[in-house]
Amino acid sequence: MRHDLRAEGLSLGYDERTVVSELSVAVPDGAITVIVGANACGKSTLLRGLARLLKPQAGAVMLDGISVTDMRSIELAKVLGLLPQSPVAPDGITVGDLVGRGRYPHQGWFRRWTAEDQAAVAAALEATDTVSLIDRRIQDLSGGQRQRIWVAMALAQDTDLLLLDEPTTFLDIAHQVELLDLLTDLNRERGKTIVIVLHDLNLASRYADHLIAMKSGRIVAEGKPQGVVTPEVVREVFGLACEIVPDPVSGTPMVVPRGRHHGG
Amino acid sequence: MSAATTYPGPAAPSPADVPTALAAHRRRLRRRTTAVVAALCVVVVGLFATMLTVGSYQLPLADVVASVLHVGDDPSVDFVVQGIRLPVALAALGVGLALGLSGVVFQTLLANPLASPDFVGVSSGASLFAAGAIIVVSLNGIATSVAALVGALVSGLLVYALAWRGGVTGYRFILIGIGISQFMLSITAYLVARADIHDAREAMTWIIGSVGMADPGTLQALFAVLLLSVPLLVLLARPLRGLQLGDDSAAALGVRVEAARWGLMTLAIVLVAFATAAAGPIMFVALVAGPLAHRLLGSAPGALLASALVGAALVMMAELVAAHLLPTALPTGVVTGAVGAPYLLWLLVSANRGGRGG
Repeated sequence: MRHDLRAEGLSLGYDERTVVSELSVAVPDGAITVIVGANACGKSTLLRGLARLLKPQAGAVMLDGISVTDMRSIELAKVLGLLPQSPVAPDGITVGDLVGRGRYPHQGWFRRWTAEDQAAVAAALEATDTVSLIDRRIQDLSGGQRQRIWVAMALAQDTDLLLLDEPTTFLDIAHQVELLDLLTDLNRERGKTIVIVLHDLNLASRYADHLIAMKSGRIVAEGKPQGVVTPEVVREVFGLACEIVPDPVSGTPMVVPRGRHHGG
Repeated sequence: MSAATTYPGPAAPSPADVPTALAAHRRRLRRRTTAVVAALCVVVVGLFATMLTVGSYQLPLADVVASVLHVGDDPSVDFVVQGIRLPVALAALGVGLALGLSGVVFQTLLANPLASPDFVGVSSGASLFAAGAIIVVSLNGIATSVAALVGALVSGLLVYALAWRGGVTGYRFILIGIGISQFMLSITAYLVARADIHDAREAMTWIIGSVGMADPGTLQALFAVLLLSVPLLVLLARPLRGLQLGDDSAAALGVRVEAARWGLMTLAIVLVAFATAAAGPIMFVALVAGPLAHRLLGSAPGALLASALVGAALVMMAELVAAHLLPTALPTGVVTGAVGAPYLLWLLVSANRGGRGG
């Protein structure tokens, strides 16, 4: 199903402090959008705002023409899922139980666990290659496995839009690539619209269909990675001098930083 | 998916088996829940029967059952069972259930094993108001219970309000709760120090807590609250399972975070308030019931029910020890305190070792 998620003149913040100011952006449907920017540029805040975890100070987040603040929590959660930066696993919880909790918005007071729930959780476990872990406790898993379980829970929620806040942070490079490949599979094979906040510019420009670069709560550049990842934008967003070369594997732009040392 | 990554554990079942494997997993967890709850029910019923039969005047179980069911024909047995032992046993049962439930709701909601109503000001609020009622305005009996009830509600809601900053987080709630608790305890100490010896003794007895002192009116109110809370907990257990994953995950799953938290917190405060009004602040039961239930259940669901039953078993055991096994009969709270304090120390030591803090 097609969806239209956009922010219109959106300002977000905590208490008095405004982090994102008057930002307008449309999330391309059926694509992978990656948001990059320096620390504290407001990229996670924007993601949380899009998922209605933060109330707008001004402006609105619109999903299919309706302001998300006017939607019922449970209706929104059937369409839009979010994997937060640091989700909490209760002590002793098993993989099977945790992934099953992703079915929350599809269940009700009287409609508990159904065959449909069963099928969705099974599909999520398969997609993330975690079937063999069903009986294991989350606390006994490695960081990479744990992250897959959280993605599985978000998949079990079975939303057309999936937002992920720095899902690769605690992963080594191999698991980072693996997770981004998995998300690409979900996008290509199931048509899910995916928005990811990422730190690594090179992975971002390789995996993004649409790249958004943010600084101080505003969008500096957005579009195809080829148009966004330029020496000028990198200098403005990260304050870093660099060369851009084509990624030898994917041909996407690759950032080679210039420091004060080791530059001929 | 990368073929290079291998996972430990049994080989992955073929795709067709996944729903079956999942169903089997859920069945295993459910079976554990059923076994634990059934065993706890047996323990609780056994303790309840023991409380009715044991005493300075030993009664055969058959006579006790007959008397409880109002089919007995011995007025002296009826007097002992219905007049003396049944109210105490019922009080222990009700107070234990309420404390166990309240404790586990607090701990789950605030994601901290130290977040028990004993420590975040609710019990000390009840103590302060009850001591004030006894010492300052010379109330007694049910009026003391009403004062305790008001005190527990006031301090609980005060902590909630002070901890509120666009939402309530575990740490802020616990720290503010401990502050409020100390504040209330120091005023209580001042009141007791200034009181005449008779009032002071009565106040101290109340502050330690004993299921023997529950009066019929307060006890009825406690059971009414317990009955009312059952449907509410059935409704709120679902969002609670979402809240366990952190506020952001819960909100993303469609849980109305603040509404659910407010409902659960209010219910937990009301439960502990009525329990405290009936028997005084019987310390440590709310603290240990949840973690003990968790130990028994492992990964299986059903923590609310199991914790309530553990709470009931603990209070009944403590009352049996306090009334019969010690050289002189003591209030229930002395026993729970003596057993609970070392547990608290162990909890603090082991929690800090794990780097999770208290």
